[in-house]
Amino acid sequence: MTAMAKETPLVHPLVNQYLRPERMPHLACPGCGIGQVVHCTLNAVAELGLTPLNTVWVQGVGCSSRLSYALWKGDSIDAHHGRIFAVATGLKMCRPELNYILFTGDGDCASIGGNHFIHACRRNLDVVAIMFNNGIYGMTGGQVAPTTPLGASTTTTPHGNFEAPFDLCKVAEAAGASYVARWRAIDFKPLTHSIKKGIRIKGLAFIEVLLPCATNFGRYVLKTGDPGKVQKWINDRVVTLKKAESMSPEELKDKVLIGEFVERERPGVVESYQSLLKRLKEV
Amino acid sequence: MKGTKTGTFFVQGDEAIAEGAIAAGCRYFAGYPITPAQEIAEILAQRMPEIGGVCMQMEDELASIHSVGGASCAGFKAMTASSGPGISLKLEGLGWGIKNELPYVVVDIQRAGPSNGVATSVAQGDFYTVRYGSAGGNHALIALSPKSVQEAFDLTIECFNLAEIFRCPVFLLCDETVGHTREKLVIPDPSKIKIVERKKPAVPPEQFVLYPLDDDSVINYPFPSVGEGYSICVSPYTHTSKGYPSTEKVDQDKMARRLTNKIMKNVDKLTRVEKKYLEDAEVAVIAYGASARPALAAVEKARGNGMKVGFLRPIIVWPFPDEEIYSVAERVNFILVPELNTDGQMVREVARAAKGKAEVYHLGSGGVETHLPDEIWGEIRRLKK
Amino acid sequence: MEITIIKEYCKGCGYCIEYCPKKVYGKSKIMNKKGYLVPEVIDLEKCSECGLCDLYCPEFAIILEKGEGKHERN
Repeated sequence: MTAMAKETPLVHPLVNQYLRPERMPHLACPGCGIGQVVHCTLNAVAELGLTPLNTVWVQGVGCSSRLSYALWKGDSIDAHHGRIFAVATGLKMCRPELNYILFTGDGDCASIGGNHFIHACRRNLDVVAIMFNNGIYGMTGGQVAPTTPLGASTTTTPHGNFEAPFDLCKVAEAAGASYVARWRAIDFKPLTHSIKKGIRIKGLAFIEVLLPCATNFGRYVLKTGDPGKVQKWINDRVVTLKKAESMSPEELKDKVLIGEFVERERPGVVESYQSLLKRLKEV
Repeated sequence: MKGTKTGTFFVQGDEAIAEGAIAAGCRYFAGYPITPAQEIAEILAQRMPEIGGVCMQMEDELASIHSVGGASCAGFKAMTASSGPGISLKLEGLGWGIKNELPYVVVDIQRAGPSNGVATSVAQGDFYTVRYGSAGGNHALIALSPKSVQEAFDLTIECFNLAEIFRCPVFLLCDETVGHTREKLVIPDPSKIKIVERKKPAVPPEQFVLYPLDDDSVINYPFPSVGEGYSICVSPYTHTSKGYPSTEKVDQDKMARRLTNKIMKNVDKLTRVEKKYLEDAEVAVIAYGASARPALAAVEKARGNGMKVGFLRPIIVWPFPDEEIYSVAERVNFILVPELNTDGQMVREVARAAKGKAEVYHLGSGGVETHLPDEIWGEIRRLKK
Repeated sequence: MEITIIKEYCKGCGYCIEYCPKKVYGKSKIMNKKGYLVPEVIDLEKCSECGLCDLYCPEFAIILEKGEGKHERN
């Protein structure tokens, strides 16, 4: 027993290989799906053979981002709220040979970071951006987000949300991202597959992940603290693309589609700039 | 440095700044169009790709400074430039650079304000903005201010060197007059230009401490970039020496002291002023940037009329040269500070540094045009009575 | 096959109990240092090595190693 007590604590093999064990357990609340998404990301990273030496994690501010900060064994860049796409532009334009995985949230990406997000998609910056959509501002205690449903009660909309949410995937598609998908945190296989595709594809890969926030969304909007019930609420609202084909517009009215929406690999700003440099060298 | 455009030219200050950046080794620029700084971006948009660098027009001022921070983390010497409200926006991102000890340069071509003001005209309203405008305090700042096109070139290189030595963002506090005036510029051969390169760690990653918080005055400290195996942790939150977030008072205190003291405990390396006619002066005129040359002309006119007037110009304006000002204040009866603002900015620093040894007066103006030498000379006469 | 539950990482969310298709897990009365009630293996023989518990756990607190025999490690 004494010998066992002196052993280093047991860690999951993925944690050992890709994360900093001293930063575990991470900050997420019980039942928060962020850990599941990180798990899928590590699966994708492992399957593609990426390493902490050639991959940089960039995150913003909020639950989504605080968790991943200084968790990745490699370089971990935590930017100001909403600015990850701007920081990633500087990083990728200067060191295009490295892989960049960005973690952002619905507030970080859709609200304060909206402008940078749109232009990163327009530039088709060659990074993977995983956006955690829990429909609320979690870290600051439950304020309304640009993805919170109409009528929802939050700390800043105690009489009900009077603003409509919008669809980030449609914005990414319109702005020009190469790859756009949406899954739930519990859709492990398709989510891991999307992250792998996102890493491999040229251009910006935007992957929105729907996940339960029992602590804030559950408590304020759904009046429950049970993550299972919040997950069920999400499950009742999602519809796969395939299933949606056979549903009427009325049936689809309050539903959220999940699946791969856009896959159109095309060169982005990094490639354009590299060929510009090459052209000038030849002159 | 490859790409340095050696020769003699007749150019605007903005162009001198662009060429200074290239000569210093800057290979990343990001900006947003704003008068009177956009010539810097336009020239770098032409020159940077030709020498293998990156020049981006970002979607806004915030994206510019944040991408410059990113480029710095990627190991590049990086710069952004703006004016007026653009600088106000950049102050948000500046905090990130200060806290994480990222070396880069921010150019402020001051223009008449507040708000949009007169975009195409000079003022000196950002003296305190650059020093104290980034919320949170707990830091010192380095800012240099040129009076001429040649100095705009020379001081830009100096800004990049100081950024590397002190591992922090450094301001070039310029103004529309210097930025848009055309004058002779001599760019020497690269071998004659002193450049400080980014220092890399000499120890393996397990032994390297990214933020030397235990030593609040160490400078010339290495900064590895991403992809070099040092697993750097850069964050807006208060962090430990390793870069891990912390909410402990002891870590906040250590970090705050380091960010302030690494500059303030090395003030002896950051004092640079121009002094003229001070040996027997009874009156002194202290001015910087666009106000400096009219002030010197007024001082020389006074001397021509038999008045014992001296002149001092801070070249490194932050940290403020307290000791130099005090030694002037001890000798003279009063000090006049002509500035292109009405709220009195550098004059307050002069008054503070003078410690009551001399009266300190402000000759203010909202800007648009610099003071005329006769205005300053007239004020000296009026005050002498 | 070996199932390991890292008790100190667990936050008692119950996903492993809910999502295991073979109902291998159940709630225990064991509390970890943070005060969470951790799960326990209630029927090891039922395990089909699908690995969902390993994947579903947001805290990386369950390690499922596939192989010969069926073991449980604490």
